[in-house]
Amino acid sequence: MIQKEFNEQLLQAALNAGFQEAEIYYQSAESFECTVFEGEIDSYETSEDGGLGFRGLYNGKMGYSYTEKIDVDSIPFLIDSAIANASILDETDGTDIFGGSPKYENHDFYFEKLDKVEIPEKIALLCSIEEKIRAYDPRIITLDYCGLSETKSERSIRNSKGLSLSEKKNGLILYFSTVVRDGEETKSGFYIKRTNDFYALDADNIAKEAAEEALAYLYEQSIPTGKYPILLRHNTAASLLSTFSPIFSAENTQKDQSLLKGKVGEKIAADQLNIIDDPFHSFSLNGANFDGEGVATKRHAIITNGTLNTLLHNRKTAKIDGCETTGNAAKSSYKGTISVAPQNMYIAPGQRTKEEVISSINEGLLVTKLSGLHSGTNTISGDFSVAASGFYIKDGQISSPVKQITIAGNFYNLMKNIKETCSDLEFSSSFGSPSILVNELYVTVD
Amino acid sequence: MIKQSVIENVLEMALSTGGDFSEIFIEDKYVNSLTLLSNKIEKSISGRDFGIGIRIFSGLQSIYTYTNDFSEEGLLLAAKKAALAIKGGENGTIHPLSKRIFPTVNPIAQLPLSVEHARKVAVMRQANDIARNYDSRINQVAVRCLDEVQNVIVANSEGTFAEDKRVHSRLAIQSTASEGNEVQTGFYGPGAHAGFEFIENLDLNHYAGESARIAINMLHADECPSGKFPVIIDNEFGGVIFHEACGHGLEATAVAKNNSVFAGKIGEKVASEIVTYIDDGTLPNEWGSLNMDDEGEKTQKNILIENGILKGYLIDKFNARRMHAQPTGSSRRESYRFSPTSRMTNTFIAPGTSTPEEIIADTEYGLYAKYMGGGQVNPSTGDYNFAVAEAYIVKNGKIERPVRGATLIGNGAKTLQLVDRVGNNLAHGAGMCGSQSGSIPVNVGQPMIRVSEITVGGTKGE
Repeated sequence: MIQKEFNEQLLQAALNAGFQEAEIYYQSAESFECTVFEGEIDSYETSEDGGLGFRGLYNGKMGYSYTEKIDVDSIPFLIDSAIANASILDETDGTDIFGGSPKYENHDFYFEKLDKVEIPEKIALLCSIEEKIRAYDPRIITLDYCGLSETKSERSIRNSKGLSLSEKKNGLILYFSTVVRDGEETKSGFYIKRTNDFYALDADNIAKEAAEEALAYLYEQSIPTGKYPILLRHNTAASLLSTFSPIFSAENTQKDQSLLKGKVGEKIAADQLNIIDDPFHSFSLNGANFDGEGVATKRHAIITNGTLNTLLHNRKTAKIDGCETTGNAAKSSYKGTISVAPQNMYIAPGQRTKEEVISSINEGLLVTKLSGLHSGTNTISGDFSVAASGFYIKDGQISSPVKQITIAGNFYNLMKNIKETCSDLEFSSSFGSPSILVNELYVTVD
Repeated sequence: MIKQSVIENVLEMALSTGGDFSEIFIEDKYVNSLTLLSNKIEKSISGRDFGIGIRIFSGLQSIYTYTNDFSEEGLLLAAKKAALAIKGGENGTIHPLSKRIFPTVNPIAQLPLSVEHARKVAVMRQANDIARNYDSRINQVAVRCLDEVQNVIVANSEGTFAEDKRVHSRLAIQSTASEGNEVQTGFYGPGAHAGFEFIENLDLNHYAGESARIAINMLHADECPSGKFPVIIDNEFGGVIFHEACGHGLEATAVAKNNSVFAGKIGEKVASEIVTYIDDGTLPNEWGSLNMDDEGEKTQKNILIENGILKGYLIDKFNARRMHAQPTGSSRRESYRFSPTSRMTNTFIAPGTSTPEEIIADTEYGLYAKYMGGGQVNPSTGDYNFAVAEAYIVKNGKIERPVRGATLIGNGAKTLQLVDRVGNNLAHGAGMCGSQSGSIPVNVGQPMIRVSEITVGGTKGE
């Protein structure tokens, strides 16, 4: 942990240098990551690192700088760079350093029990899962990855207005990429498991899921190009939500980078769609009690029964729109400036299971993987055309995997065309969704 | 940055439990990032990244640890903890460090840190004006100016001690055009392993103008038809197709464990005979160039495919062990937070004989992809996909109407066999490549090429 005296020294030096207000954002992490290959440790990585972000109001403009080398010699660098950066800004940032919210939720995102699990125990679990995956089916030829990653992190804000906040969290991720082959056909399946409870992990079940995720893609069939009803499995729905989540940011509506400008209070989606941002959701490993400006975070219903209730705001965008901040000031790390982003955004689950919904589909596609989301999407217009994998559904049953396909559509239209949300809510990192059924998307088959 | 005696002690501590190779990577990097948006300089941040990575090999086991703690005690403790992951054995041998000096392939004229922000801002404003003046329908322009100076030291138990200074400069211009409900964007992001002289000498009329032109041209473009047909991919950043379809599959990361479609195929014909594919980290001042790689080895020109025959892979020290091969100066990492592995530098298709005019005139019906977006590949299957930023339909040997929303999908190994024209206009384009050892600057390049058949995923029927 950073020395208290260093903080005091830096804040004081900033005020002496002419900053009206100043703030320190500090983040540190300890992590462990390991992969195994054929029962032996293949890679093994540990780390302890951190960094310090400085920002301050200089002639009414906010200047930023950061360092990972924390010693007194860094103080002049931080201050001089922040002054240089503030000086070239064209106008005042419209915000200041925040003195604190009246009340903060005190959710605990740190699980001491997880921190106590010894490294050999984790490696033993990983080796046992690898063995079970390899033994699961003779068509499993190898694993691209069989890994475990655990992180414990801490962040704090301390500023010249007397605010002092900190919190820590931890979590563990297991990830597997299983490669299967039958004859000339090679397929791979990626499976990831997130948890904060090591002892609840079930090796047999994880091995089964990781193996099935690859095996299911064997014996692919081609289907005709055309329009199909699409059931987006929870992970693909969550990754689309994640890709297009910037449309909900007031920063983007204010800069004409989102078509939701002026749409608060209007119906923008099907009745079936409810989107929530919940910083405290127990399924996610990404909780927070305060945002990047030190504002208390809150649960917000963004879309309720298809109607847009609110955009996401930080203090600056709220001031421009004449509303309250939603506590969504985002600071990706000590290296970042302040922007706007959701904390744990998810689509609310519905009543029926995914299997029940499949049984009601005459002909359609279950989409289980999306790739190329970083390139095949236009987050401003909402258009997407991305590669996908999945399964052909015929007469209420999964009939076969399909060859590589692309699906194309528009996210704004997709929100209007949701027919049903299933009950299987899951989080992929900080975005969650159940599987969702959408009317029709255009599918091209390789 | 850190005393040589401390480095030697750390390398020794790392081998105290039986490891057979230890390495230390010290990084001290200064970064500036300026953003212009809505006609205003909106964001500007500067920072210093500093940290140390320690790596140990024991046979086919690789241990990595990193920290920001630069005290001798902190580093020794980190090395000791990492060494404990090895089951135990004889202490490894340390060779005395001797300094390796590499020729400078990337001369730098103006270090970014010595350049005042105001000069960068002047270039950014000029780019903004050019893009906005292109057409009144350009309603937003974002210009980012990025520079970094990365000082590194690599030392290892084999006696290598090497220092390098890498300087990267990039100007990224994104124009947004809108009319009614239609919104389209155009992007151009030239970058180099060079100082501010690169930014200052950029032909802004070309780069900013092109970013605006792409957005405007796509504004009222038709939806792209779907189907399988010939695809002509233009030069420069068009090379991203082979970066995805082929480059990643030639990295030892995929080859060493037999997870690549190209594994075990040296000497075999893997591509059409007009395809020669090269990775060259020594091209002066190119975005993906390096004086030395992140294991302290000299970068080199690696011929991967020659006239369709697979000649070699990109190999790092660790995978070289599994593959019983020599490293190729290709080991790279984003920062001290990543263990290095085999990666691309400047990868390109060597020029052929056709002129671009001939290739288009020779195409009865197909898609002309003028600018590519990004893409992705699954190295174990070779299935790739990528987006086309600007595309046109070619009919009867002529470029016809613009189309948008095109995604190309296919299989790398198959696509390589289907290249039927290679142009004579080789050019390189800058991009960021994300993989196991993080996000690194790479060039992709090619002359104009034609593939006789690719599946085009569009938004409209055939």
